[in-house]
Amino acid sequence: MSNFEQFHFDFYQSNTIDDQEEGCNSYGSNENFYGSRKNQSGDQAPDGAFALSDRPLSSQSYTGQILQPTCGPSTLSNLGYADGFDEEPPLLEELGINFEHIWQKTLTVLNPMKPADGSIMNETDLTGPMVFCLALGATLLLVGRKVHFGYVYGISAIGCLAMHALLNLMSVAGVSHGCVASVLGYCLLPMVILSSSAVVFSLRGIPGTLLALLIIGWCSLSASKIFTSALAMEGQQLLIAYPCALLYGLFALLTVF
Amino acid sequence: SSQMWQVGKRQASRAFSLYANIDILRPYFDVEPVQVRARLLESMIPVKMINFPQKIAGELYGPLMLVFTLVAILLHGMKTSDTIIREGTLMGTAIGTCFGYWLGVSSFMYFLAYLCNAQITMVQMLSLLGYGLFGHCITLFVTYNIHFHSLFYIFWLVVGGLSTLRMVAVLVSRTVGHTQRLILCGTLAALHMLFLLYLHFAYHKVVEGILDTLEGPNMPPFQRVARDIPVVSNAVLNTTAKAIALTL
Repeated sequence: MSNFEQFHFDFYQSNTIDDQEEGCNSYGSNENFYGSRKNQSGDQAPDGAFALSDRPLSSQSYTGQILQPTCGPSTLSNLGYADGFDEEPPLLEELGINFEHIWQKTLTVLNPMKPADGSIMNETDLTGPMVFCLALGATLLLVGRKVHFGYVYGISAIGCLAMHALLNLMSVAGVSHGCVASVLGYCLLPMVILSSSAVVFSLRGIPGTLLALLIIGWCSLSASKIFTSALAMEGQQLLIAYPCALLYGLFALLTVF
Repeated sequence: SSQMWQVGKRQASRAFSLYANIDILRPYFDVEPVQVRARLLESMIPVKMINFPQKIAGELYGPLMLVFTLVAILLHGMKTSDTIIREGTLMGTAIGTCFGYWLGVSSFMYFLAYLCNAQITMVQMLSLLGYGLFGHCITLFVTYNIHFHSLFYIFWLVVGGLSTLRMVAVLVSRTVGHTQRLILCGTLAALHMLFLLYLHFAYHKVVEGILDTLEGPNMPPFQRVARDIPVVSNAVLNTTAKAIALTL
């Protein structure tokens, strides 16, 4: 029993000293310290550890992943998980998946005429893009092509690198890889619509080509709209839209042929 | 594990500082859409004044986008004609060809220009040749979709010729001496026109019979025959299978 309390003290102690900068990933690394500091003698004062017991909760707060300004220790205790660790956040929040934001971003992409809010792209959210890539691969499977997941991921990766380099060169403020990947992934949604329509009718021929061109324009317009609003590059939307159109044209080529 | 984090962070920051050298290229990408459009149109108009050096915009956005457009057009042409590349991939071939031409011929022309004492920098050469690819893009875009040999030759001469003339005129205005002008301009003209010819014939093999079944009887029949027998039998099998599936 005393050993267990010793572990508890070490648990909280290591948490406050070493995890200040880790933010929301501290829960995982606590396990390592828990294991490595098993043999430490109890030099730390017990009441010091108790007083510090509030700190781990705040250092474990997940402000890095989800922009929820009112989340704090008080709301955690209201969640009430029954199995042992009361301070463990819900899985989705810990993973950084926020369905409300994903839905907002999807609506922004689907309506290219609506002016975009520059701040929505501040968080790097790769869940939505991943879902859309998988949906594209799945609909391509449904159309009857060979398995094209590798091509989708490869073109996405290379396209993200190239767009990231170009945007960094053209804008005053830089962008991160995650932001570019996130935006390009979200704007892939109309391409999923194109490949699902390929299930119903063949895209070779004039109507198919026109539809593909329309979808490419839609994707690149959305992507360039979000990029220009996030990077304050007014007047250069066409210059950003063209490389995006080339990238989405590759995806369309994959879908049509 | 905090040590691993530090080591990893140090390595990543070293890689990023390498990447930060990309800032050297930053001034070459500072353009407005109006400027790009104007330069694209100018690249088809040969200048008349060759007595004083013509201004070349040292800009890399337009040429880079044109090279990528050429890659896209090549890919589209290869896909519509079901070209099979035996060793390598379609994407790799297209990118390798276009970038290889742009970078390789620019370097070679820069080297020749250095030998012939022409007033041109590497970025200007890259920019000039890049914009010269606009004519190639137009020609290939039209002739990959409308398959008439005579149409291609007309486009080759007119469109390809115009962009070559523009490049040649700019180079001539920046070189002194007849022999040097002849060497530079002859090489550039030959390489540029031959590249267009190569792109048309090497990347758009038309297979007789397959086009008829896929696109209906409104396409004109061709005289060229498929070179790869396995391609024909494979494609015939695929088309018959598709036709059977459609009728089910």
